[in-house]
Amino acid sequence: MELSINYILNELNFIKPELVISISIVLIVFTDLIFDKRKQILPVISLISLLITGYFVIEQFGMNTFAIAPAGSKGMLAVDPFGAFFKMVVLFASFIIILFSINSSEIKLSSDRHGEYYTLIFGMILGMLFVISAADLILIYISLELLSLSSYVLAGFTKQSLRNSEASLKYLIYGGVSSGIMLFGISIIYGITGSTNLYEINSLIQAPQLPNITFILASILIFTGIGFKISAAPFHFWTPDVYEGAPIPITAYLSIASKAAGFALLIRFVKVTFIQSINTEGYWQLLNIIDWKTFVVLISILSMTLGNFAALWQNNLKRLLAYSSIAHAGYLLLGLAVLSNQGLLAIIIYFAIYAFMNLGAFLIVMLIANKTGSEDMDDYNGLGFTSPLLSVSLAIFFISLTGLPPTAGFIAKLYLFIALIDAEMITVAVIALLNTVVSLYYYVRVLKHLYLVKAEPDTPIIGVSALNTVLILMLLIPTLVFGIYFTPIVDFAKVSVSLLGF
Amino acid sequence: MNIYDAIFYLFAVVTGLSAFFVVTTRNIVYAAFFLLFTFFGVAGIYVLLGADFIAIVQLIIYVGGILILLLFGVMLTNKITSVQIKTGTLQIVPAAVGVGLFAGFLIAVLTYTEWKTVDTALPLTTTEFLGVMLLQEYLVVFELLGILLLIALIGAASIARR
Repeated sequence: MELSINYILNELNFIKPELVISISIVLIVFTDLIFDKRKQILPVISLISLLITGYFVIEQFGMNTFAIAPAGSKGMLAVDPFGAFFKMVVLFASFIIILFSINSSEIKLSSDRHGEYYTLIFGMILGMLFVISAADLILIYISLELLSLSSYVLAGFTKQSLRNSEASLKYLIYGGVSSGIMLFGISIIYGITGSTNLYEINSLIQAPQLPNITFILASILIFTGIGFKISAAPFHFWTPDVYEGAPIPITAYLSIASKAAGFALLIRFVKVTFIQSINTEGYWQLLNIIDWKTFVVLISILSMTLGNFAALWQNNLKRLLAYSSIAHAGYLLLGLAVLSNQGLLAIIIYFAIYAFMNLGAFLIVMLIANKTGSEDMDDYNGLGFTSPLLSVSLAIFFISLTGLPPTAGFIAKLYLFIALIDAEMITVAVIALLNTVVSLYYYVRVLKHLYLVKAEPDTPIIGVSALNTVLILMLLIPTLVFGIYFTPIVDFAKVSVSLLGF
Repeated sequence: MNIYDAIFYLFAVVTGLSAFFVVTTRNIVYAAFFLLFTFFGVAGIYVLLGADFIAIVQLIIYVGGILILLLFGVMLTNKITSVQIKTGTLQIVPAAVGVGLFAGFLIAVLTYTEWKTVDTALPLTTTEFLGVMLLQEYLVVFELLGILLLIALIGAASIARR
């Protein structure tokens, strides 16, 4: 038997971003070994390699092809603008998170393990880049495991408190179960189609047009694995505890990057596997095997309602943001439930904006926790008078997360609702709107603590260093500007809706 | 029922029963020993399916490696057998209903599904095919697994360090 691996050599330039990240992992490990005493060069290396990766990802906006395709079969990866967009979100979030980590007092405490910290972050990035463009169930599973394995350790990285270890262990157990369930689903799909490639499965199941109980089971099982990653109800149980226990940079990272990767995978899985045709208005005609629309709408309404109502009672900012992130997963799922290119456009716009505002909110929470050592809402009393920059920024990020004009969050919700109303899903749109009203209450409750409680003499004055001011402005200015001048983001999203093959 | 079916059911019963005891027994040493039979039964099923390489790997790595390590861990840990393991059962009715529904669903799926079958003779040995596949079609997955193991190692070191 003869090995023919030359095809790989020819196609390596389609996976340049992944290659750069893999090389960075090795580089970080060796740098950590050689320059044992100078840990401050690790973030520099990480930032530089993220920039290089970003350059190669921008190149991928022009590509629309399979990568790593052995002779006679479809490729393992699909390189397309859709994937490139989500890779950009992941890289942007990683860039900001590394800047977070330089400032975080939690991460600084365990400075002797910074080598491990950055290696694990890069492990997560590599997993996410592969998840986003994977078109083969085996590759999807392995890269999802790489992502999860790194995040389990990172969730309990600081080891300072019991909460931290609890977060890590809980994440590990829930994650292990959900990935086992997903693997079961994958094995069933392989059992009925004899293929693991999403594009091949799609062409194999074109013939029978009946609801198929086996396929429904397999799809729900796979959805469980993905739903865990995007923290959609009822697979959200880990979210509040892990978000609360993990170090804040990691919490922020899980809420953006890991969620982006999960959504990219979910959209690719649903669209590529079950598509039959797309009509001229951009609506997807799915195969009549499983009713994705009803299923996703149900999950989405459950996530929104549960997330928003549970957040009403939270006094810990991290827990509050955890429930808010469950609710946002619900809104984002609505974009998928529309099953049209317009819904996809709404998801992409939402993610671009969500990255700025959610990272911003976590940044402020982190800077306040650096000083006060707590995320309790009562410790925010009167901060509006002593630390104006932080409080005003937090107010803007929270208003944006609610979705009120003139912030970018409004534009994100606007496009989502337009997509829903275009698809004549009025009831769902009304439910989402009511949920937004509910969410206003708990976001504004934090502002009440900041501004309507008079500052006591012992209210801390939180100074902000120059680097942190720049970081805040980097997230704050887009949140405001995109609320008024949003054409660039919409144009960018229109480029990014194209998936390989459709 | 031919001889293959009989052998399959034998291994299936060994696997299922011992897995049941692993979960229910309150003594962790017994649990570890029952796990031995579970792994062994699974290896038997692999042999029956003609997956010789995976069966050997299952024996060498799981039975020979992981389980022995596990037993060492159990035996070397002080006072581990006297620790009361909390295996309380909560919400037994909803759990029974949920599990029952899911089991019914699974049985329905197993009964009505037309699994994809291919009429080919089982290859005498699978090792060569596996090797070629891993280094050809699944090369990316194979390399990614390498990185996965590296990350797992680094993560474990990070957890173990003070």
